[in-house]
Amino acid sequence: MSYAVGVDIGGTFTDCVAVDHAGRVHHGKALSTHGTSPAEGVLRGLTQLAESADETLDSLLEATDQFSHGTTIGTNLIVERKGARVGLIATRGHGDALIMMRGQGRSAGEPAATILNIRDTDKPAPLVSRWDVAEVIERVAVDGSVLVPLDEVSARRAVTTLLGRGVEAISVALLWSFRNPTHEQRLRDIVAELAPDMYVSISSDTAPRQGEYERTVATVINSYLGPASSRYLEELAISLANHGLRSRPFIMQANGGVIPVQVAARRPVQTIGSGPAGGLAGTADIASRAGHRNVIATDMGGTSFEVGLLVGGRPVLASENIIDKYTFRISHLDLRSIACGGGSIARVDPRGGGLQVGPESAGSVPGPACYGTGTQATVTDADVVLGLIDPDRFLNGRMSLNRDAAVKAVGTLAEATGLSLEHAAAGILRVNGHNAATLIRQRTIEQGLDPRDFTVYAFGGAGPVHAFTFAQELGVKKVLIPMGNGASTLSAYGIAASDAMQVFERECTLPAPVDGSALATVTADLERLAVHEMTAAGFNGDSIRLHRSALGRYAGQFLQELVLPMDDGEVGDVTAKALEEAFLTEYSRLYGKAALSAFHTPEIFMIRVSATVELGVGTAPSTSGDGGAQRPSRPVFWPGDNEWTDTAVYDGPPALGSRIPGPALVQLPHTTISVSTGWQLNTDGTGNCVLAIEEEQEH
Amino acid sequence: MTIVEIATDTATVPGPATVWDGISHGYIPAEPPRIHPSVVLHCEVADDVDTVTLEVIRYALMNVNLEHADLLQRLSLSPVVMQARDFQTSLLTEVADVVFLGAGVQYFSNQNALTIKYILEHRGRDGIRDGDMFLCNDPFIGASHQSDVSITAPVFVDGKIFCWLSNAIHYQDVGGPAPGSLCTAAEDAFQEPMAWPPTRVVEDGALREDLEHLFVRQSRYPGMCRMDLRAGIGALEASKHKIAELVTRYGAPALKHVMHRVLDAGEQLFVERLAAIPDGRWSHRAPIEAALPGDRNTYFYQVNITKLGDRLIVDNEGTDPQTGSINLTFAGFAGCVQAALTMQMLPEQAGAYGGAYRRVDFRLVPGLLNCADPPAAVSSSGAYSVMSNLNVAATAVCKMLASGNDETRDLILGAPTPNLSTLIGGGVLSDGEQFIIIESNGLMGSLAGRASRDGVDVGGEWWIPDALGLNSEDLEAQTPFVVLTRELLPVGTDGAGRFRSGVGFRETLAARGIQGAQMFVHSNESFPRGIGLFGGNPGSIATCRVKNATDLAAQFAAGRLPRILNELNGVEQVVDYKGAPIGLADFDVIEWTSPGAAGYGDPLLRDPALVLADFEARMIDHDAAARVYGVVLAGDSGAVRVDDVATSMARCTLLTKRLDGHEPGAQVQPPGGARRVGELLHVVDGRWWCNGADLGAEDEDYRRTALTRDTPTRQLGPEFDSVDGEMADRFVLREYLCPVTGYRIDTELIACPERARG
Repeated sequence: MSYAVGVDIGGTFTDCVAVDHAGRVHHGKALSTHGTSPAEGVLRGLTQLAESADETLDSLLEATDQFSHGTTIGTNLIVERKGARVGLIATRGHGDALIMMRGQGRSAGEPAATILNIRDTDKPAPLVSRWDVAEVIERVAVDGSVLVPLDEVSARRAVTTLLGRGVEAISVALLWSFRNPTHEQRLRDIVAELAPDMYVSISSDTAPRQGEYERTVATVINSYLGPASSRYLEELAISLANHGLRSRPFIMQANGGVIPVQVAARRPVQTIGSGPAGGLAGTADIASRAGHRNVIATDMGGTSFEVGLLVGGRPVLASENIIDKYTFRISHLDLRSIACGGGSIARVDPRGGGLQVGPESAGSVPGPACYGTGTQATVTDADVVLGLIDPDRFLNGRMSLNRDAAVKAVGTLAEATGLSLEHAAAGILRVNGHNAATLIRQRTIEQGLDPRDFTVYAFGGAGPVHAFTFAQELGVKKVLIPMGNGASTLSAYGIAASDAMQVFERECTLPAPVDGSALATVTADLERLAVHEMTAAGFNGDSIRLHRSALGRYAGQFLQELVLPMDDGEVGDVTAKALEEAFLTEYSRLYGKAALSAFHTPEIFMIRVSATVELGVGTAPSTSGDGGAQRPSRPVFWPGDNEWTDTAVYDGPPALGSRIPGPALVQLPHTTISVSTGWQLNTDGTGNCVLAIEEEQEH
Repeated sequence: MTIVEIATDTATVPGPATVWDGISHGYIPAEPPRIHPSVVLHCEVADDVDTVTLEVIRYALMNVNLEHADLLQRLSLSPVVMQARDFQTSLLTEVADVVFLGAGVQYFSNQNALTIKYILEHRGRDGIRDGDMFLCNDPFIGASHQSDVSITAPVFVDGKIFCWLSNAIHYQDVGGPAPGSLCTAAEDAFQEPMAWPPTRVVEDGALREDLEHLFVRQSRYPGMCRMDLRAGIGALEASKHKIAELVTRYGAPALKHVMHRVLDAGEQLFVERLAAIPDGRWSHRAPIEAALPGDRNTYFYQVNITKLGDRLIVDNEGTDPQTGSINLTFAGFAGCVQAALTMQMLPEQAGAYGGAYRRVDFRLVPGLLNCADPPAAVSSSGAYSVMSNLNVAATAVCKMLASGNDETRDLILGAPTPNLSTLIGGGVLSDGEQFIIIESNGLMGSLAGRASRDGVDVGGEWWIPDALGLNSEDLEAQTPFVVLTRELLPVGTDGAGRFRSGVGFRETLAARGIQGAQMFVHSNESFPRGIGLFGGNPGSIATCRVKNATDLAAQFAAGRLPRILNELNGVEQVVDYKGAPIGLADFDVIEWTSPGAAGYGDPLLRDPALVLADFEARMIDHDAAARVYGVVLAGDSGAVRVDDVATSMARCTLLTKRLDGHEPGAQVQPPGGARRVGELLHVVDGRWWCNGADLGAEDEDYRRTALTRDTPTRQLGPEFDSVDGEMADRFVLREYLCPVTGYRIDTELIACPERARG
């Protein structure tokens, strides 16, 4: 027996998944232990996982070929401001770039309604005290030439001052260092000389992109997370090794790939957002096996709704990332979210009269009214009122919901709107579904694509129960519930299934007509670096696969970032010409031919090389159950039908080959799949549940 | 007294001879607009829409407007659009009521509406057809200056105009004598870029290439100009399709019903907030230097807001006559006032402000600086008169809100800086290519102190709430300048208050790789103009210093990296507030400040713990803590604390000085039933009351009774030092003091009659 294991530490639960050589998927779940050591929760989850696979913890780990791990520890450290005390070294005159936040500290990453609300918004707490910022005499110019060499005296003074102030980690972010990193590298050496154990990040290594603010943020976050993250990863690796794990663990990154633990310890900033990335990575794996090349991956939980895309079989990447209003640029899976989920609070706009849902959420405390502690009506309360959720079977019966409280809360809204109780509850779901559909539409249209050409994957606790609302809104005809179990452990599966990957990027200025030899030089340098780094990380050179792309825009069009694929082969004038043509084709596809400019020059401004080594789960996972037990039917008030309909109810995942016509409900341990009227649920060959409009279903 | 002057019939109603036609005066549409009979409007409104569909449509319409802005930003080439967010999109009804405004420039609030109403009134004769789009940058119709170019499209349903979509972009250059098109030396509109009244650039869905050519021909940067124009057209086209889809799905009457509900909701909230404020009249007046380069006079803008029941009447009495290049047309002025009202009074409305506009009447005197008649020069308003009028209007609104209750006081955002600092210039690179620089980083701004909290350091400007400053690297990549320094200003006298303003910043730029250049727009103020609220200190002055023939190259070669101008040798130019263009050669250096806004409340009432927190954040030093706030910080750097006893003594000393040697009394709780106005002042039984002191009858000016102290602005603190002492000394800051405690009730900038000119 051998296993590929994935572990995902979430805010509440630590999910563990093991896929054995036969493709069987085993699950384990334990409460996360952020308060003490997250490793404790991991070991508890793994113990449960072992039990479900009829193994002991040690025998499971001894049989594990590949152990991959995703953690929110980085995100938590930032949100709770529990990271290291970081000293920042900047170019003289530019030490305030971090605190100035380009003037957008109040609004970065916020929705328009929040941006316009000046009264109730503010800048986030600083990541670095202004006392812990030191400036050094050095200056590199825009072209990478040295205007003023690094002054050794000022460099040593800066490091000494910061050490004297008691910083626990150091970040170095100098102007134009991504064009010429020698000053940053020298500073790193000086820190190593004066404080050999000090955790150091340099911006030319961490995030070599133009824009000193974003580069500084990335570098500071890296150091902010570095010490605690390293400690945790080392502790975990030792602990797992003590229990028999023979290989070094892999760590999930936000870009959808894993990296060896020793590399992750150097680059903790790459793990920010890796939890949601696991879900998309899992989607990508399942989609490739299911033959779905264009997929909208949706994750609806208690408070948020996240959307990622697979286009042509590849996840869409983005550069800009924002955490707590701090913006940085590191390639990551492009997941966007809005406040929209089971806990979203419904209310009547006192002046406009509309029934609004969210963005406020009841969260888990006080929670929806039906939890017994909240009072305001939420989406979950509407589910209970409509009969979509059985109050006695919520979370597999582990939690009992108070239907009367839900009725009371929704009833108050019904009274205020003049609707019946059922219509008010259906209205809540319709508005919630519309909000979710709007985000999906924006994501797909932004890519110049029609959502109706996609398969929607729905997961997260509130996803499968509400997927029909946003699918109908979008005109999507097929929804897949991955792994058939409500996908509560999809992220952990995605982590287990991910390949090793590092993304390498280099800024360049290659205006059209693009110089083929310059393009070749940049690409070759970057590929050499990629191979070097992957080899240094312990991978066999033959196993490394390189994937190139270029980023294009009209010169000066700083918000534009069109990803242009590059062929494998030799890079030269033909490649350059192809990129120019690809840019124009892509630009006109997205914005129309009229948007093309005969007067402005397109340019290639960045080359990106992804280096991957195939790991993943070799065998297709098989997750189907023995077939859900049919329970007594119950009346459900289906939004859209707007009448109570007797609805079949099943407990547990459907067996392979099942076909369940709507209206029906499939109750799973962590969610419920709503099969509305006119839809049908099938299982595919590996146990995924596929909802399809009846005439569209697969035979 | 400028806090409250109880309503009198002082609002000016222009005489019947005033024709607001965009020709003799700025355009103000008739109410209702006189729409040409050939124009058919789609006015059908559903009687009712259920509450769920109402919300679904509302959300969809709001997102049409937000996506419009997003697309515009991605298609544009101008850095001022992409990063500074100097643009706006709006969705309007068939008669141009603004349903949704985006998160861009808020003083564009009504400008698209004005343009559309003009089109309805004046372009109907030739027909307004499906597929048409109109370009307009005419400040006497619907733009604050020529650089703000709007594209506007009617959306037709069943052959009738159902609604309008519009966007406005600040173009990098639309021609005129100065690169960047802000012509500070223009004496009239004929020395400025061409103004385009609403012109049909897209007809039956096809771009009029002849007109595009003509428009683009004006610009020094035709490529960028064309891209921005097409961005505007393309973004509108996409948005039109989205409206059409919604019409197909929900029906035009339902959509129109929702538009009206959105307008009504905004109006209702506005009226509710007005209800908490007593009727009255609130005014603010503030000066500006130099109508043209070399001019030594000062001029005043004034905004008066009269609240009568559930309406506001805005007038500009007290403003000086139009002159030079410091004018603003009705379109720009009304936008400033509306932004000052909605951004403060409707923070929850997310751009749905049109209903509030219904409650604001303008009764303006034409021919004044903020309601200029053709052919006044207005192209540089985007750097001067707009910001001045935003400040003046917002201050008047703040005073009004402070006269209400705690809820309305909590709405106060404070006034934005009146002196948005910017550098605009151009020149020739070493390789012979032309370049332009529009330094828009002043938009990183500062938010003022408020009634219950400090402002925000480099927190942006609320009238352009999503602006993004350029990285130094981005600026260096786009222009031939090296950014030597960009650093926060320290917390000091400027912007001090019980709740201080956010600080601004200082930037030092060195030219590198040029044959020569001129900086046309720059600001080096002589005195502070942004006055604090209820005893807060004024905001910073905008400064600009220049050194030519510096030794920067030699310092670089010697391994030195100067960070401020004083570390460089060279010949310092004397820079006036609005001098002639500054000539620059390689390695010349400019140092400018982006000012902080003003404070709120007396600095001596600031909680010492907040001063300590500023120290711990390395924002203030011991000296400024004592000098500005009377707070004595003790202990070494590891454990600094407030010395309570020494602080009490220091503050007592400062108050005693204010009271001319009299010992200050303690603050007194106001009696029950007192109505608070601002911070210390109350109305008790129809009389002004402050800590037990009677300051006269409510219908009289309390300022005549309050203790006063005048301080020349240069003596307020080193932060207000000025190279132009003669100009600076024309103004004093007058403190109105509580005669019992010595605390400030309010402050005012007073022109010294014996020194003031103009």
